[in-house]
Amino acid sequence: MSTRNPIKDQVAVVGIGSTGFSRASDRTSLSLALEAATAAVRDAGLTAADIDGVVATAEPGGPSPAAVSSSLGLDNVTHYTRPAPVAGFSFVDAVNAIASGSCDHVLVVFPFLRLPWASRQAANDPFRRHLQTGMAAFPESIANAAGYAAWASRYLYEFGASRDTFARIAINQRTNAAQNPLAAIQTPLTMEDYYAARMIREPLCMLDMDLPVDGADAFVLTTAERARDLAQPPVLVHATATGLVAQNDEDQLPNIRHHGQHVVIDTLKAKSDVWIDDVDVFCPYDGFTIITTQWIENAGWCGPGEAGAFLEQHWDDASNRVLINGRVPMNPHGGSLSEGATRGTGFLRESVTQLRGQAGDRQVADAQVALALIGGFFFNSQGAVLRAG
Amino acid sequence: MSDTQLSDADLVAGYAPLTVDRDTADFYRGWLARELRPNRCADCGHWHHPPRPMCPACWSWNVEPTAVSGNGTIYLLILLHQGPPAPGVDYTAGPYPVAAVELAEQPGLRITSTVVGTPVHELAIGQAVELTWIERNGLPFPAFQRTEATS
Repeated sequence: MSTRNPIKDQVAVVGIGSTGFSRASDRTSLSLALEAATAAVRDAGLTAADIDGVVATAEPGGPSPAAVSSSLGLDNVTHYTRPAPVAGFSFVDAVNAIASGSCDHVLVVFPFLRLPWASRQAANDPFRRHLQTGMAAFPESIANAAGYAAWASRYLYEFGASRDTFARIAINQRTNAAQNPLAAIQTPLTMEDYYAARMIREPLCMLDMDLPVDGADAFVLTTAERARDLAQPPVLVHATATGLVAQNDEDQLPNIRHHGQHVVIDTLKAKSDVWIDDVDVFCPYDGFTIITTQWIENAGWCGPGEAGAFLEQHWDDASNRVLINGRVPMNPHGGSLSEGATRGTGFLRESVTQLRGQAGDRQVADAQVALALIGGFFFNSQGAVLRAG
Repeated sequence: MSDTQLSDADLVAGYAPLTVDRDTADFYRGWLARELRPNRCADCGHWHHPPRPMCPACWSWNVEPTAVSGNGTIYLLILLHQGPPAPGVDYTAGPYPVAAVELAEQPGLRITSTVVGTPVHELAIGQAVELTWIERNGLPFPAFQRTEATS
């Protein structure tokens, strides 16, 4: 495990752009990607002539970096890649591209479409029939999404935990989404709503699973030095990590105490000058509620199996959400469960928005450090520590 | 049916949509003989699954599909209230159980399939199970059932 961190505070996020998220759009991935991309470049105070790097995440139906470049008229691109989905891969690649000198201003685009296997409306849309399924095609598998239900069952069994733990995460995200104009769903949730929700892959119900949406996020990164001359308050990338263990097939993971998240946490802690006591904004991924449960515990807020007690102890009854030590919110934008399933981009965007002091009604006072923990257990655990510049 | 009678093309077609390739074909040929044969390293004795062309523990290429007892314990368990279609699977009749069973041969060596013969809401992590066989598309398909001693 490398504890070297020559990129520390050397790269900055200088532009963000988002379409907002919807369960009813009829737009293409390319259209959404371009709207977010142009917004991010303009937000940074840059133009097409400045962009010499394009990272286009390989979402189903998403445009290639070549298609993004030709659509935006980007000439003389020196770094273009197409990392696997889940935001950290593209984000880490973009950070490294700037730090290494592979390019000077990199545009990172993440479009998302509701896919036919996850949305009945999408399944009935003839223009979406070409999109790949992403689901196991036979029942006797815990690959992909089913893996999280399987490890949720193990979590409940090993720790004698209650589904209340998962419910509190879902309720927290929904409460927070009400303060986020980009969010796809803002209706408040109650514990009764949670327990009444349709079971999908027991022990996980519909409200444990992220919300398929259409939309796009984009980011522009450059050097910390260059960032000082641009339009927005710079947000510095302090440390990043991706994590993988040897047995990472969903049903072969050694146990719930050793998976990709543990590698991410150990690496980020070793590379960072700050950790959870310094964090003002905490954004743990919630593609499934069990993932959030694990990030809370693995980050060190509490011990294994203690997330339920932790959430109860730090629950702010007045606002119906988590406020750690009465101060630090968890996913103030509403997360993938309520803002929409953006495979982790929302956690990075919200971190940047908060560190800039531009989060409006949900702004955390004097936010200086954000911890975004993205992805699940198996082959997409990722994280980033961001700081106000 | 013997495991040598089916052509490679028929093996691939018969077990679709499972991925049968040159690294996994011998594992699925084991199913035709109603044996579960994860890869085992002939040099260091380490089992692994799904089948890889070399041993992840010692990097030997001398790995061999080797029959297991089929005895194990339910390690992970989900009940599918909806899911991918398959012949003989009717989600409207009740949730369909899928378990990752930790085999007796080695800690962490797990095979995932359904569990038959027990009402689904009586199934639980930690229960002892043994291998049995169901049929899928006219070919043997492994499943588990609770062992007599504990059921």
